[in-house]
Amino acid sequence: MSDWDWPVVGRSWDLLMEGTKLTLQLFAVSLILATLLGLILALMRMSSISPLRFISAGYVWVFRGIPVFVTLLFAFFVARDLPGLSWLTPIQAGMLGLGVDAAAYKAEIIRAGLLSVDPGQHEASEALGMTKRHYMRRIIVPQSIRVIVPTYMSNSILLLKATSVAVGIGLVELTGITRQLSNSTFRPVELFTAAAVIYLVLTTLLVVPQEYLERRFALKT
Amino acid sequence: MALVNVSGLRKSFGKTDVLKGVDFQVERGEVISIIGPSGSGKTTMLRCVNLLERPTGGRIEVDSRVLCEEQANGSMTFADKAAIREAREHIGMVFQRFNLFPHMTAVENVIEAPIAVKNVPKPEATARAHELLEAVGLGHKGDSYPMQLSGGQQQRVAIARALAMDPTLMLFDEVTSAVDPELAGEILLVMKRLAEQGMTMLVVTHEMGFAAEVADRVLFIDHGRIVEQGPAADVLQNPSHERTKAFLHAVLDRAPMEAEVEEAAEGLVDDLLVRPERIGGDDDGS
Amino acid sequence: MDLDLVWEAIPLIWKGASTTASLTAWALVLGTIGALILALMRLSSIKPFRWFAAGFGWLFRGIPLLILLFFAFFALPDLNIGIVDGILLEPFQAAVVALSIWTAAYQAEVIRSGIIAVDPGQAEASEALGMAKARYMRRIIIPQGVRIMIPPYTSNAMTLLKQTSLATLVTVPEMTLLTQRLFSNDFQFRERIAALALLYLAMTTVFVVIQQVTERTFRLKV
Repeated sequence: MSDWDWPVVGRSWDLLMEGTKLTLQLFAVSLILATLLGLILALMRMSSISPLRFISAGYVWVFRGIPVFVTLLFAFFVARDLPGLSWLTPIQAGMLGLGVDAAAYKAEIIRAGLLSVDPGQHEASEALGMTKRHYMRRIIVPQSIRVIVPTYMSNSILLLKATSVAVGIGLVELTGITRQLSNSTFRPVELFTAAAVIYLVLTTLLVVPQEYLERRFALKT
Repeated sequence: MALVNVSGLRKSFGKTDVLKGVDFQVERGEVISIIGPSGSGKTTMLRCVNLLERPTGGRIEVDSRVLCEEQANGSMTFADKAAIREAREHIGMVFQRFNLFPHMTAVENVIEAPIAVKNVPKPEATARAHELLEAVGLGHKGDSYPMQLSGGQQQRVAIARALAMDPTLMLFDEVTSAVDPELAGEILLVMKRLAEQGMTMLVVTHEMGFAAEVADRVLFIDHGRIVEQGPAADVLQNPSHERTKAFLHAVLDRAPMEAEVEEAAEGLVDDLLVRPERIGGDDDGS
Repeated sequence: MDLDLVWEAIPLIWKGASTTASLTAWALVLGTIGALILALMRLSSIKPFRWFAAGFGWLFRGIPLLILLFFAFFALPDLNIGIVDGILLEPFQAAVVALSIWTAAYQAEVIRSGIIAVDPGQAEASEALGMAKARYMRRIIIPQGVRIMIPPYTSNAMTLLKQTSLATLVTVPEMTLLTQRLFSNDFQFRERIAALALLYLAMTTVFVVIQQVTERTFRLKV
């Protein structure tokens, strides 16, 4: 009845791992980009200078409103024509597109975290004569991390999965290589199952740093 | 020259006028209790003294520093950020809800500002923090985190934190309201000792006992104005204004109120036990 | 940027909007039904139900939608297990299947956390008043839970709308595919993609507005 050919996964293993490597590279670089950009956007949003707030709100509205696929198409087909970006390789365009898209979400997560800190903490710091720069760094940010970590990490799992969309601009990451292999071996069931298992392992592993960080930043009671 | 000089102080939130022109002075070493019904503006007035609230009118001067001043055309000028910070170094504040930094131990809470703001070397700041915690009766709790302490203990750490900046003036904003009644005493005791040592204190409070025993002067505020002020004994025992009398009556004379409640409750007993069979039945019960 | 090219592209891409909308609608309806069943299984007292629902969520929230989509389109025709001997799906059907499973997995979590977020005191008070469980779930718990569910439910629905763009990769002629056809003929990438982005932005902004209005409608009166 069944005519499985699971060894095809073994024969394709090296290529699958090549794809996984690119998936992880896309993930790591776009995560760093998204986090830095998200932090800047969150601080802009909370600034007292209204044009900065306006730009940040507009950025978040636009990139939360369009599919990551469309952002990737932009990064791939258009970004290279922008001044100073002619050196972009397709892989770098993928990282840029994913990072720019995810930054909108990271900005909202960071902002929500900073806003979650009791206003009394700002007041107490002000009353003690601390500068805003000092108490943001020492008092507000450390307390906001506790709130930020869980949503930041689950959002990062979404980013890891979103790297698969890079297949749409021709990158041969895990999903792309799986599609190619399945076309050439006519074994889609086995290969897509293998890819699903690899993704499951990666997304499940991301829970480990989350639990560590949550413990690290828990308040002592 | 008075330490604190407030004149014509006004504050509105949107269309609500919370302070409608308040004048008072505080001399060095003086302890003033500010009393009044909730919503009277007493907390807002206290928070204006270190500019946590920005007044909409009037003038505030603390220790010869002008923090804000109303111009002839009605606009407000405020001291610049650095000057406000400089002034706040000398004005300690203790909040109703403690506002300790929850991710820092008691000692870390106390040393943070001296190190950051006054560049005190860490060993020195730490030694002083231990002394201050000792003085508020928490010498053994230096390594505890706020959430490991009772409300009364947290508030005493908050007092130590404010004192670590060597303030010339201390502001207390209903500091016993958020703690269990049996723990209020330990906070009031620390405040009383502080008063005895000559600290200038502005104390917004509901604790009439503290006002009577410790305060040199009492300000009674209602509807955004100082209605009556004077030596504690005069205002509390011999109020001249009707509103002060009514307020003190409500706060101090609990006994008649309880009697009233009992009386009212008696009238309710029958109504609460209305049974279906009684409704629409015979009227002879009334 | 040549704005004329942008405006000219909008009606051409808009022809795919009905496909984008019906993909979203189908997946939202089927996915929400699935999500309700999964949420009730997850909260049930029967262990195998709980395990199944938890496993479903872990599996389908752990792999990318695109893998699901490719599996439905490329692998299902080859899948031979027992009575099932290959399921050949049209591109549109494959996309609806994958998007529905995705929606079910995410919305089940929204429904479940909405229900458990209702103060347990509400159930206790209802029990103490002698209400039957079915009655107080319907009259007391669900109305309060719905209020909590609306924001995350709407934001998942908005994500779903955006995810329909992936159906391009299995050749469903929705907005993104029409755009790609346009720019592969005339190479006006910038203007065509900008037009596509504008259309998505308009559609998702409708969701944001709906979300804000419903949140206001369902807010507790204070």
